[in-house]
Amino acid sequence: MTSLGGSSSSATEYTVRVPKNTSKKYNIMAFNSGDRVNCSTWTQARMERDMSARRIYGEEESAEGAAGSEFGKKHREEARRKKYGIVTREFKGEDQPWILKVNGKAGKRFRGLKKGGVTENASYYIFTQCPDGAFEAFPVHGWYNFTPQFKHRTLTAEEAEEEWGRRNKVVNHFSIMLQRRFREQERGGEDDDDENEKSGKKKKKGGGRGGDLRIHDLEEDLEMSSDDSDSSMGDDGEGKTKAKKATGKGKAKKKKRKSSDKEALEDSDDGDYEGLEVDYMSDESSSSDEELEKGKSSKGEHHPKGIDEASESEEESEEEKQNEEEAKDEEEEEEEGKKTPVQPEKKKKKDSSGESESSDDSDIEGETASALFMKKRTPPKRGGRGSAGSSRTGSRPGTPSIDSASTSNTLSAAASKLEQGKRPTLGPSTDSPAAKRLKMEPSSQSPVPSGKSTPQPPSGKSTPSSSDVQLTEEAVRRYLIRKPMTTKDLLKKFQTKRTGLSSEQTVNVLAQILKRLNPERKNVNDKMHFYLTE
Amino acid sequence: MSDKTEVNLTGVKQSKGVWLVKVPKYLSQQWDKATEKGEVGKITIGKKQGKTEVRFSLDEELTALGDVGEKDASLQVPRDHSFTMHTVDGQTMAVFSQSSADEISLEGMVVHRAECRPVVSDNYMKLKKLQIKASTKPQRLSQQLERAVTTVFKPVANHDFNVEHEKKKKSEGKMVRAERQVVLDMLFSAFEKHQYYNIKDLVDITKQPVTYLKEIMREIGTYNSKGAHQSTWELKPEYRHYQSAEEEEMQTD
Repeated sequence: MTSLGGSSSSATEYTVRVPKNTSKKYNIMAFNSGDRVNCSTWTQARMERDMSARRIYGEEESAEGAAGSEFGKKHREEARRKKYGIVTREFKGEDQPWILKVNGKAGKRFRGLKKGGVTENASYYIFTQCPDGAFEAFPVHGWYNFTPQFKHRTLTAEEAEEEWGRRNKVVNHFSIMLQRRFREQERGGEDDDDENEKSGKKKKKGGGRGGDLRIHDLEEDLEMSSDDSDSSMGDDGEGKTKAKKATGKGKAKKKKRKSSDKEALEDSDDGDYEGLEVDYMSDESSSSDEELEKGKSSKGEHHPKGIDEASESEEESEEEKQNEEEAKDEEEEEEEGKKTPVQPEKKKKKDSSGESESSDDSDIEGETASALFMKKRTPPKRGGRGSAGSSRTGSRPGTPSIDSASTSNTLSAAASKLEQGKRPTLGPSTDSPAAKRLKMEPSSQSPVPSGKSTPQPPSGKSTPSSSDVQLTEEAVRRYLIRKPMTTKDLLKKFQTKRTGLSSEQTVNVLAQILKRLNPERKNVNDKMHFYLTE
Repeated sequence: MSDKTEVNLTGVKQSKGVWLVKVPKYLSQQWDKATEKGEVGKITIGKKQGKTEVRFSLDEELTALGDVGEKDASLQVPRDHSFTMHTVDGQTMAVFSQSSADEISLEGMVVHRAECRPVVSDNYMKLKKLQIKASTKPQRLSQQLERAVTTVFKPVANHDFNVEHEKKKKSEGKMVRAERQVVLDMLFSAFEKHQYYNIKDLVDITKQPVTYLKEIMREIGTYNSKGAHQSTWELKPEYRHYQSAEEEEMQTD
């Protein structure tokens, strides 16, 4: 090394050596800087060639000798190839990609593909500095670009097709939640629904909030009316979809699709409730007065809103969901000053209203009443129904009792639908607020048809109008029939707040019930699930 | 599948930094001509007005294009080069080496990229001109001949190959029908080796006239007119037993 001292520059000189006798072949291992690979953190690494292309490349040895072989086959094949000038690319082991596994089985995996043309026009050398200060230059033999490989869960063809089919559908999360809530109520449990549960930790929070504070009943009304119309399958699907979102269960996908189909049909008449003023209602104390007021106001404002809504929806037939959401927003904003914090919350939680879980008897009645109102509103909006609607509207104060009767019918109907998974007559579905586009079948005029559609009162499911959360055998049975659940899930259903029992009591009662029911067991995901088949 | 090779990570652990240098072809060719010792030149790293400058100068002996030892004045590789340095932000590059024993070791990380560029001189220009000329020359060339080529083919009454063939045929004579049993034995042993045979191949093997052979084959075998093994003969199922020892299983007349 000689140092040259210059006036404005200082330079150090090093010799460059190109060792001749290296048996080692140097290659470049290139990573993308975005992958943030830090080689110094590697504790252990293994590398091997990826020979999977070998079988593609033909070196396929057909049976040699004896069975299956022909005399002179090889020669003939060769002659044939020569005749046609077929040049097969050899399988070169040297050019195969590398597979690099870092830090053992749990670590990262990389695949290194050879980059072609590196040594064609210019040579790359690796200059390393030796301890004696001289540089040694090694020629680069090959260049491999390494990319990380993940073990993503990939969709199968069927699942992929499903997802593709769903991509154009704008999923109306709002009405999904509504329906689910309605269904929950129907099932006589203000218990959190399965779906509620699953979909939500989000929902849970919403539910919690709902327990203390109900923003307004309209969503429940919406729910109920929409629920009537919605098929149980749809609801189930929706709920399950929610569940899926939260828990990642895949089985709901199909259901979701179906339900979203129905969803599309049953756009909630959110606009109907625009401008409705609703006070915050707490769990226990919602009064029918409130309902009445609400009903009246909603009634009053309904028609103009309806028209608006109708025009809106017609414009954006594709974006009914959006509409709903918007309408809902407007509604909420108008109704309560506190909408804004609530709304985004709601939206995020995909909760049309947070209060689904908590509803009392009276609430239910009131809600169903409003729901029924809403249903009636839809007819005029559609211009197709008319008759029952107006009459009903007029008799608002008197209707609660009737309504409750029909409500129970409705509830049972919906419940039974849920149970059997049958598609209900379109009547009720159209009535639902979610049905924006549907020309509802004439049958869907009043809740009575939904009663009609109740011909199958589910055997074990007499859902009384009581919306108390009862830790009864009935309820447990219902849940278990519907879907396998763990004890934990069941407990969640029967929340202490609702049942009025302490947690210990709940546990005890639940255990007794389970003993009585003697459900079948199934192990899912290493957890013991109970289920009943009827 | 080759076994997984444990990668020797010592180079990376020591955080050995290396340079990746792109070197022109002619220069690498010259480097190949270096002596055993391997010295090819000198690198000068200096700071000129605040900027780091790296220069490489080739050894005197290696400047001659052509064989070492000759000093052809016209063809000289330029001696002075400069390295343009780049950072490696876009890519994380490591160097791994593979020894002849298939041992892989990670030699280090690339900290700088450089390109070796010659300082332009007349010499360099001449060199480049030659290179371009060489590369633009077409690989195939049409050449006009003055006189027709008469050396290769001559008209012949009967080609050599043909003559030989006829002689062979005459000497061998017509194929004689051997004993049926003998022929059958030959056939069975042939079918032990392969399942499907062309009739021509069988004739070759057994040296029997075609009609006779066909007769026998019709007795013990079938002809595939379609399918994967087209136009081949194979033994009838009852005669073949390819899993176990064929000799015992195969029946005879």
